[in-house]
Amino acid sequence: MDEVVSLAGVTKRFGGVAAVNAIDLVVRAGERVGLLGPNGAGKTTTLLMLLGVVAPDEGSIDVAGHRLPKGRSAAMAQVGFAAGYLPLPERLKVDEYLRFYGQLYGLPDPDIEAALGRFGVANLARARGTDLSSGQRTLVGIVKAILHGPRLLVLDEPTASLDPDVALRVRTGLQALCRDEGTTLLVTSHNMVEVERMCDRVVFIASGRIVADGTPADVASAFGGADLESVFLRLAGREEPDHKHERNQQTERPAG
Amino acid sequence: MTGAQLSWLRIKAVARRHYYVLLRAPHRLFDVTIWPLVDVLLFGSIAAFVHPGHAAAGRLAAGYLLSGILLWHVVYQSQIALATGFLEEAWTRNLLNLMVTPLREMEYVGGVVLFGMIKLFMGLAVVSLTALGFFAFNVTDLGLGLIPVAAVLLVCGWVIALFVIALVLRFGTGAEALAWGILFVILPLSGVFYPVAALPWLLRPVAEALPTTHAFVAGRALFDGRGMLWGELGIALASCVVLGAVVVVFLTRMLQAFRARGYISRYT
Repeated sequence: MDEVVSLAGVTKRFGGVAAVNAIDLVVRAGERVGLLGPNGAGKTTTLLMLLGVVAPDEGSIDVAGHRLPKGRSAAMAQVGFAAGYLPLPERLKVDEYLRFYGQLYGLPDPDIEAALGRFGVANLARARGTDLSSGQRTLVGIVKAILHGPRLLVLDEPTASLDPDVALRVRTGLQALCRDEGTTLLVTSHNMVEVERMCDRVVFIASGRIVADGTPADVASAFGGADLESVFLRLAGREEPDHKHERNQQTERPAG
Repeated sequence: MTGAQLSWLRIKAVARRHYYVLLRAPHRLFDVTIWPLVDVLLFGSIAAFVHPGHAAAGRLAAGYLLSGILLWHVVYQSQIALATGFLEEAWTRNLLNLMVTPLREMEYVGGVVLFGMIKLFMGLAVVSLTALGFFAFNVTDLGLGLIPVAAVLLVCGWVIALFVIALVLRFGTGAEALAWGILFVILPLSGVFYPVAALPWLLRPVAEALPTTHAFVAGRALFDGRGMLWGELGIALASCVVLGAVVVVFLTRMLQAFRARGYISRYT
C-alpha cells in the first residue's frame, strides 16, 4: 500500500524538553489510525509537524509523497484538517467560509450544499460563524476539511464538543467517507469508545514516544486490558476505575 | 488548472475573504473614511489659521500640507491594509486553518494587498474630494508625476507592513500596536510636510536614510512646479528595494522561528 504519512526519527523539543522523541510512524493509504495518549503526550505536536505548521528539530516527514517543509504546499493540497477547538472566522457566513477554503484548494466553485448535506447540516449554509453552536462549528470545520476530497484527513479531537447524537453523525459520515472514497484517516481523541469504533489501528504515544501500535484489540491485549480505555489509564499512570460510566466523559481539549 | 491559475484563484479568494471582513465590520471603514477626512480638515484648517487674510500664502501652505497628507495616506493605507489584514487572522484564530492549506505565503500577501488596493483608492478618494471641497485643493494639479511618487510610497507601505507582520510572528499580538504606532515614528522623520533641514540636526541622517523622505521631496517638487526630481525618486526606489529585501529576509527568519518554536499555540 502507498505511504501517505511517513515520519522517520522525528524529534521536537520545547525548552529542552522532548515533546516528541524519535518517532517513526508510517500511515498507509486507506488506514484509519487513532493517535492516542494522555495530555502532553505529544499527539498534537506530532499532528502539527506532519501538517507543516511546526518544524521538527530532527528527522524527516513525508506527506502524500512530498518531503516537508519544501513540499508543504503540494502535500497540503492532499490533506484536510479540522480540530474541535478551532473557531470559524466570525465575519464569514458558512457558505462564504467553505467557498474560501475550497478555492484555496483549487476548487473554483465547490459543491457546498452537497458537502454540508453529507453531515446533515445543509440548512447552515447562510448562517454566520458567530450564530453556530460549538457542535455546528465542529461539523462545518469537518465539512471544510473534506470539501476538496483529501487523500489524508487529519482530525484533532473532532468530537470533543459534540453531544452523542451529533458525534454519531460525525462518526458515521467519516466512516462512509473512508469506505467510499478510500480516504486515509488520522485522528486524535480522548474518547476511547469512539476510536475503537472508527479506527482499524491505534498508535499510543506517551512522553513523546510511541509505546503501542496495532489494532485496538491487539493493543488492549498487549497491555493486559479489556479495552483501549484501560490501556489509556495505565499509560496515564492511573488505575482503571471501578465505574465504567466514566467512559466517554473525557472530553477536555488536549494540551499535547 | 495551471500553477499560475491556481495561485490567482487563491489570491482572489483571500482578497474576497477580506472584503467580507470589511463588509461585516463597518468600523473597519474608519481607516479609509473618517481618518482621511479628519487629516484633511486638520491640516487644511491649520494652513488657513496660520495665514489668515493672506489668500496666496494660505493656499501655498494648504497645498504643502494637503499634498503631503495625500501622499502620506498612500503609505498609511497600504501599510494598514496589509498589517491589519494579517492581524485579522490572528484576532479570529484563523492562522492554523490557513497554515494547513496549500496557500503559499506570497499568495496570502498578494490577496491581502489586492484588497488593500481597493481600500487605498477609497482612502485617497476621500482625501482628494475633501481637499477639493473644503480647501479648493485639486490633486490633479500635481500632474502625472504624482503616479510614480505614489507608487514608490505604496511599496514603502508594504515593506513597513511586512516588518510589522514579522514582529507579530515573533512576539505575538502584543506587537500589534506597531501596526499603527510605527507610522507615527516614520511620519515626522519622513519630512511629509517640511524639508529634512527643518528637523533637529541629530535626526537628519535618520531621515535621509528613509526611502519615504526622498519620495516626499519629489512630491513637494511637483507641488512647487519644479517637475519630477528623478534623482530623489530613484534614491527612494533603490533604498526601498534594499530595505524590502532586508525585511523579506527578516520575515522569512521570523516565520522559521514561528514554526521552530511552535508559536502557533498562541493562536489556537
